[in-house]
Amino acid sequence: MRKKSLSLILTLGLAMAALTACGGSKGAVSTPPADGKTSPTASAAAPASSPAAGGEQVALRFAIWDSNQEKGLRKMADEFEAANPNIKINIEVTGWSDYWTMLEAGATGGSLPDVFWMHSNEIYRYASNGMLLDLTDRIKASQKASLDNFPEGLNQIYNFQGKQFAIPKDFDTIGLWYNKTLFDKAGLKYPDETWTWDDLHNAAKTLTKDGVYGFLAPLHNQEGYYNFVYQNGGTIITPDKKSGYDDPKTVEALKYYVGFVREGLSPEVYGDAERADLIKNGKVAMGLFGSWNLSGFTENEYMAQNFDVAVLPKKEKQASIYNGLGNAIAHNTKHPEEAWKFVEYLSSKEGQERQAQLGVAISAYKGAADLWVSSNQTFHVKAFVDMVGYGVIRPYSNTTAVWEDKAYEALKPAFSGQSSVEDAAKNAAKIMNESLAEEK
Amino acid sequence: MSKEHGRAFRSQTLSEWLWGWFLIAPTIVGLIVLNIVPIGQTAYLSLFKSGDFGKGNVYVGFDNYRKMAHDPQVWHALGNTLLYALLVVPLSIAFAMLVAVLLNGKTRGKSLYRTVYFIPMVAAPAAVTMVWKWLYNEHFGLLNYGLSRLGMSAVDWTTDPNVAMFSIAVIGIWSVVGYNMVLLLAGLQEIPRDFYEASDIDGAGKLQRFFVITLPLVSPTLFFVVVTSMIQAMQVFDVIYMMIEVTNPAYDHTVSLVYLFYNNAFKYFNKGYGSAIVMLLLVLILIVTAIQMKVQKKWVQYL
Repeated sequence: MRKKSLSLILTLGLAMAALTACGGSKGAVSTPPADGKTSPTASAAAPASSPAAGGEQVALRFAIWDSNQEKGLRKMADEFEAANPNIKINIEVTGWSDYWTMLEAGATGGSLPDVFWMHSNEIYRYASNGMLLDLTDRIKASQKASLDNFPEGLNQIYNFQGKQFAIPKDFDTIGLWYNKTLFDKAGLKYPDETWTWDDLHNAAKTLTKDGVYGFLAPLHNQEGYYNFVYQNGGTIITPDKKSGYDDPKTVEALKYYVGFVREGLSPEVYGDAERADLIKNGKVAMGLFGSWNLSGFTENEYMAQNFDVAVLPKKEKQASIYNGLGNAIAHNTKHPEEAWKFVEYLSSKEGQERQAQLGVAISAYKGAADLWVSSNQTFHVKAFVDMVGYGVIRPYSNTTAVWEDKAYEALKPAFSGQSSVEDAAKNAAKIMNESLAEEK
Repeated sequence: MSKEHGRAFRSQTLSEWLWGWFLIAPTIVGLIVLNIVPIGQTAYLSLFKSGDFGKGNVYVGFDNYRKMAHDPQVWHALGNTLLYALLVVPLSIAFAMLVAVLLNGKTRGKSLYRTVYFIPMVAAPAAVTMVWKWLYNEHFGLLNYGLSRLGMSAVDWTTDPNVAMFSIAVIGIWSVVGYNMVLLLAGLQEIPRDFYEASDIDGAGKLQRFFVITLPLVSPTLFFVVVTSMIQAMQVFDVIYMMIEVTNPAYDHTVSLVYLFYNNAFKYFNKGYGSAIVMLLLVLILIVTAIQMKVQKKWVQYL
């Protein structure tokens, strides 16, 4: 009997514990990734108050999506902390697709990070819904940060109705990575700015042998067919917000691109992570990859030894998809002054040059790109900067993330050979236009 | 006298009543806060075209449901979800039953086996899927390497529309077998030894013993396992989410209702439409479970 009542009490106690645990995590249910990440960092930051600081100790959450850049940014944050002893920066890394889920949950639940990266795909939603701090006046008043120092195209991405909601952090272009060793073996000339589509195609043909594919043509837009579309004078989205997938020039470029897969010169690749695995393991001799892969590729021994990078080939003209991230501040941050101080530092000559020196990313600040070029001795990374002159801003509208996925779904059958490129492109244009019509 | 008796009776029922509610309160409160209220909110949200960040929702009546009826992807997802459940539930339970019966006897190293079978349940699904993803990898995976050593051509385990669902079902079965086995083991140990002794005397064979004694007597546990596995299988998400991207050619053949809900609600910012999709799943699960409750009278035997 006594044993029974004891077990009863134990069960009850357990049930209560479970209940309180549920209650405690209720906030986490509505904002899972954000909450899961913040609580440990926030509590870790709290006790770190130093009396020497004078002011109140402030911990800022800084959210980014690229783990490759974390190391360099941490270093910059450490230096910033040393100069501003009362501010502590906690960097939170979340992978690209989960990042936006996390940010959306944070924005809905009122727990956005203080400072975070913005992207052309998403800026409209965040800016138009007042989720970002208007930086216009602060930039005007600032000695260190000025929009004049950055390319106008990048500034424009983060400008909504005349107000600036983020300051460009970096830019990126797409380069043609090629296996020098295989080129030497085949007696081929390395790719350079004179290369045309035919050169690329012929080289891919020659290099496809012994289980290695000549070229990597994945179902990927930015590091794939977008570049060819613009090289051919086509477009993805017209200035009046209509799909460009039914433009004959676009279709022609897609046909050329898909041709690599259908002719067996490229593996059929659909997964995002798979692309880098293939090139890092020497399964493909050439591939299109953005400048942000640089640190990952440099760390890979095989790539560092055998690969190099060149500008993209041309058709009607030269083109490379060009984009840039921005640093934004949450509209409801508790520490707008400190957050601004950090963003101001990141956008200043000093911060931008440091970012380039550390090889974090190609700094958007005028002239800082050269520092980035000399930060990497492994590859001829100047190619990425050379392409800026004819770079095409990554196509975007107010709901980019939606129609990009829809277009992928429509183009899939062309890659797998189940439908013609013409039909797939027509279908892509149709569903993209439907999606654009729903845009406010 | 009778009056006094009545009062004593009443206070006793009252205290029993209070105790009863007190004891189930933890579960009830948890259910209401975490399940019942959210279900209501989801049903409500499914009538709206949702605005960004939970602001500016527009009431659209049953538009989301109408749109759903004309969305081929919803029908794909519905079919995929049912196919997944039909693959995983019978196979995993049959296998779990086999293992449970074997491990219920006098096997050497019994607890080691039990632990080994239960490990997949303890491992994080995301981590497990990453490992399986490498096994299935088209170019570098162990499975295709094995096939090439045997002189067979490579299989696109995760991108071939005809194969991908089976690849996913294998992971699903592999990860729940251990859990089902433990439940069934508990059921098996409830069966009194006398029955087996009596059947021994009567000279029943092993198979006969299983079908005449074990199966009927473990049927209440089996029923519980079938119902919960079915519900769990129809809510499949993590494995498919980790393995199949939207760009994958097998996407239409593998996307489950929950995955479709996730994409619509969180990737395409259409929480209203996403809510409508999960309401469909809720109704589906209710129907399947109701059928099972009806049919159980035919095969479940309570002692």
